[in-house]
Amino acid sequence: MEYANILQDLLKRDEYLIVGKKVARTDALDKVLGRALFTADYVPKGTMVVKVVRSLQPHALIRKIDYKEALKIPGVIRVITASDIPGENQIGYALPDQPFLNDAKVHYVGDPLALVCASDEYSASEAVDAIKVEYNALPSHLTVDSALASDAIPIHDGGNIAVKTRIRKGDVAKGFKESTVEVEETYETPYQEHMYLETEAAYAIPEGSDKVTVIGTMQSPFLVREKVAKILGWSLSQVRIIQALTGGAFGKKDDMGPLVCAEAALAAVLVGKPAARIYDRDESVAYTPKRFPARFRYRSGADSEGKLKAIEVEITLECGAYANRSPFWLWRQTAHAAGPYYVPNAAIDGKAVYTNKVYGGSFRGFGDLAMQFAAESQMDRLAEKINIDPIEFRLKNILKTGLTTTCDQLLDHSVGIEECLRRVAEASNWSKYVPCKEGSRVRGLGVGCAYHGISTSRGTPDWSACSLILNQDGTFTYRTGICELGQGSPIGHAKIVSEIVGAPLDFIHVELPDTSSTPDAKPTHGSRGLMLGGTAAADAALKLRDNMLKVAAEMLECREDEVELKGGEAFERGTPSNKISFSELAEELYARGISPASYGFYASPKRYFDPETGLGVNYSVYTFAASVAEVEVDLETGETTVLKVWPAMDVGKAIDPLMIEGQIEGAVSQGIGFALMENLILEDGVVLNPFFKDYIIPSALDTPEIAKPILVEKPYKHSAFGAKGVGEPAIISIVPAIVNAIHNATGIRFNTLPITAERLYDAIRRSRQ
Amino acid sequence: MEFSFILNGKRVVCDISDNQTLLDLLRDSLGVTSVKKGCEQGECGACTVLLDGEPVTSCLVLARRIEGREVTTVEGLVDDPKMKSLREAFLEEGAVQCGYCTPGMLLSAYSLIRSNLDPTEAQVKKAIEGNLCRCTGYVKIIEAIIHAAKKLKSE
Repeated sequence: MEYANILQDLLKRDEYLIVGKKVARTDALDKVLGRALFTADYVPKGTMVVKVVRSLQPHALIRKIDYKEALKIPGVIRVITASDIPGENQIGYALPDQPFLNDAKVHYVGDPLALVCASDEYSASEAVDAIKVEYNALPSHLTVDSALASDAIPIHDGGNIAVKTRIRKGDVAKGFKESTVEVEETYETPYQEHMYLETEAAYAIPEGSDKVTVIGTMQSPFLVREKVAKILGWSLSQVRIIQALTGGAFGKKDDMGPLVCAEAALAAVLVGKPAARIYDRDESVAYTPKRFPARFRYRSGADSEGKLKAIEVEITLECGAYANRSPFWLWRQTAHAAGPYYVPNAAIDGKAVYTNKVYGGSFRGFGDLAMQFAAESQMDRLAEKINIDPIEFRLKNILKTGLTTTCDQLLDHSVGIEECLRRVAEASNWSKYVPCKEGSRVRGLGVGCAYHGISTSRGTPDWSACSLILNQDGTFTYRTGICELGQGSPIGHAKIVSEIVGAPLDFIHVELPDTSSTPDAKPTHGSRGLMLGGTAAADAALKLRDNMLKVAAEMLECREDEVELKGGEAFERGTPSNKISFSELAEELYARGISPASYGFYASPKRYFDPETGLGVNYSVYTFAASVAEVEVDLETGETTVLKVWPAMDVGKAIDPLMIEGQIEGAVSQGIGFALMENLILEDGVVLNPFFKDYIIPSALDTPEIAKPILVEKPYKHSAFGAKGVGEPAIISIVPAIVNAIHNATGIRFNTLPITAERLYDAIRRSRQ
Repeated sequence: MEFSFILNGKRVVCDISDNQTLLDLLRDSLGVTSVKKGCEQGECGACTVLLDGEPVTSCLVLARRIEGREVTTVEGLVDDPKMKSLREAFLEEGAVQCGYCTPGMLLSAYSLIRSNLDPTEAQVKKAIEGNLCRCTGYVKIIEAIIHAAKKLKSE
């Protein structure tokens, strides 16, 4: 179904009532009043506390876990180890390589070994310290090169390569032969910690002997339910998961939701008491998934006309201790390796490698962020070699409707990258810019482009569902499994519903996701929350609208196509005095037994994909972004200040421009963090800076001027109103724009992130020698 | 030990332990959940409260140190015109995303505009420097604070 057109035809509105408008979030009121409840706010005083005993070794066989002394501590209720798990001791996401509690071997410093249940925090912490673990240490692999060495010992059965990927398009040898310039470089990107303000939390309440309810932080309530049920050895219907308002997530709470909820649920069920499991900040930083580090060997060639001819990319992804999301992450990097450009010949190979370090996981941009840092650095280097303006060079190769991606996917519509790039160039006055110097400070301008496939890859079907009920008073109850994490997808759904059923936004009440009453919307990740979930919302609203129109027409004694639904009323178009309120209409639906509820469902179109060559219709649609950044570098200190950013994004259709601006501005801040500041330090596999005071993220003082984001609208024909996902694509072009601007200002190019003041200072000194 | 202090204008008598922080006292003993726990090191600002009118991170204040003193949280400023103006601006400008930093951020902003209805962008940034936000990039928060102050000044 081509939603974008259907909705426009059906609603017969010259202008939408709410879609496309800046509307204050109705769900933010409780947040400013301090009344919004997050997981920890639900936990009553005196609730049993759960803590995790973790490995202090990066790689070792477990000889013995001795908790006799811990049990003697007053307040300690129980210690739970692997042998106590009633179900399956496995929490791996993509591969079954991750025990929930380890009893045979540890794979990184922080691997979970046992749960301590105690009456209070202090007793629980004391018990964690009192548990003695005896190990037989194994040689540890703390770099990918060590893990890939011929004499490396395997971290998991099957060796140290978790997964491989591959794309072959055209003839790369021929492409390089046709090239007159070539650039080959190796890039490295580090871990990045999410540093959301709310740490992971869960509160589990056992009910009777065979049920448990868990309130927690998460992005996928139904994935959480599946994993919790598996560990308990229960059916899905015995486990009820409620997602509380979540204080930032950025991907990690998709990985951590199942873990934290299972920790609380297992303790609650085995002890028979409600249990609270709340992560400490240092625990959250040191032991839970991060942005995967990666290395890219990147060779590209272009001809004298400035046309890209070939790329050859080798990606080495560091999984850390577990594969987790690495097969999907690595594939995204493989598929997006060229950037948003047409390249006729491509050979891309990836491998994800285990090491004995904290493992990688989901994080906004999902591999594509690091990949575009490499790809966009290559583009600037090629432009320099050809002696052509970097934006002009990009425009010569930019993806357009009718061109194919590196996966040979034909882009037939919704391709707005050229407009994004032209408009940021114009807004930033790119062609007239002259890098300037004042005292020890130099300024420069840089550009970055990005594209990001939305939702599932490799032709995998994706779907989403929701429910909508018209209540007797004319208000609506909307349920979606898409989670509110700050990004506002659920309130975006409410806006879509509001537009279609003609109710004011505050008539639509969005319930918290609850697996016992909410339809499965699939995960809140992959920038799919609004695009997939919102289209299911449109389906539910259209179905309910049909019933409302049918009954309203009879009540108003006119034809269905003469009925207008607007402002919480149904009236005859042209005769607005002939009207009924939604409460009268609702009463009538209930009285006649005509369904006042609907189930919304949307499935993405079927696609062809060949896993052998990596070619086919990879993602159903792409969001595109371009940014220009201006930086100032102090040559005396090496310090970089981002002065201004001009962002643009092709969002398909902006359901709410204000919320998109919020996503972009937040992404600029996180991008500045990744490019310049955030530096997780590990020594012998131990994270040395697990606090806000030593893992520095941007504060208000680091906020640059951000030009009003340019929103390009090239509608996607299969989503509600044509909207595409924005959360992840927002960050991807920011990092290369900053990196390229630093080069423009200083002449120094970095192949490794972050570009801290110290590194830049060293590089400036070296360049002067 | 039993002691008393003023919470949002009302005298509160409660039992505390020697090592209890103001944050834990407010959240665990008194059920003031607008005060959020983010780091317990005074670094993130989510637990900001006003102590005798000045913003402090309540995780670094020992509860026994506040005997007889005044503590204000957003709950205590529901009807305050300046806080009301800030709340409205935060909503209108889109300054709220996940909302976890919001109560602390509002209190730091309130502390600024109480004495300065014409703050510069630099002054606003300085005032909220200790309140970290990972969602918004601060832009709309800064705009909201400036707009709220302007509106109050023109009234």
